[in-house]
Amino acid sequence: MIQQLLAILVIIFFFTRILNQKRKKKISNNEFWLWTFFWAIASLAIIFIKQIDQLAKMAGFSSSGINLLLYLAVMALFYLVFKLRLKMARQDQEITNIVRNIAIKQTNEEKK
Amino acid sequence: MKIICVIPAWNEAKTISLVVKKVLPFVQEVVVVDDGSKDETSQLAKQAGATVLRHLINQGQGAALQTGNEYALTQKADVIIHFDADNQFNAEEIPIVIKPIIEQKADMVFGSRFLEKKSKLPFIKEHLLMPLARLVNKLLFGIRLSDPQNGFRAYSRLAAQKIIIKQREFAHCTEIIHLAFASKLRISEVPITVTYHRFGQNFSGGLRIIKDLILGKIIK
Repeated sequence: MIQQLLAILVIIFFFTRILNQKRKKKISNNEFWLWTFFWAIASLAIIFIKQIDQLAKMAGFSSSGINLLLYLAVMALFYLVFKLRLKMARQDQEITNIVRNIAIKQTNEEKK
Repeated sequence: MKIICVIPAWNEAKTISLVVKKVLPFVQEVVVVDDGSKDETSQLAKQAGATVLRHLINQGQGAALQTGNEYALTQKADVIIHFDADNQFNAEEIPIVIKPIIEQKADMVFGSRFLEKKSKLPFIKEHLLMPLARLVNKLLFGIRLSDPQNGFRAYSRLAAQKIIIKQREFAHCTEIIHLAFASKLRISEVPITVTYHRFGQNFSGGLRIIKDLILGKIIK
């Protein structure tokens, strides 16, 4: 019970940070709702941890529901890192295109 | 027939003048792509008679070669040669490399260290890294060429228009070969010699190439 309360307090703390960022217009509407949705799901998972325990048991996991949540979180993190990697690769390609265009343009101008 | 030689260079002040001077008698224009060098590569290349394209920041050898190709196409090149800046290749072999294109027998010519002429390769490179690179080429792309990682090559204009190098670092060698086969270009291999002044790609570099190739397959 105390653990659940602490977890909820942590979520409230992070949510206030997001509200603050939104108020200062540092994040977009979409981002605000994405994080609100994320923390809402996290809160529900903590409130209904017993039901998740049962769900984990039904799904054949030998450990508790909180472990199942951890597995899911790690999977989500892997996915996010992969997405970030792809995004970085695309940005790198765009930087190369800019650098290339500048190099060719400068040389052509010098030649004129 | 306009022949342009593209030489990517990154901090190659020691050798660039010599290489440009050796290559110039065999081509109409030498294009040095200075890939963000911190030394005097650009100035020395220019003094030696090359056209210099300068990347503001280092982008990798593959990116520099593509910059050179795009520039050469704007200069209406009929044949584009890729040549290294470190004085490992023999400029006198340029006529041999471009011959199949000039005779219209090939669109793309790759130099090979493993045909008749024998380069003195470091032992590990010849017996471990090269067979491994050949295997990766075969498994990932179904390519069979005697030399999987050779920077001495020539393109016809058509080939340079069809092959767009996206691999910015050293995976471009495999990418170029793959694209040449995928574009159904007429491909030829000719023997060339390489004089080693330094080892070049080591095992970890090879692993990085494989990682780049796999990532390149995911990101289109």
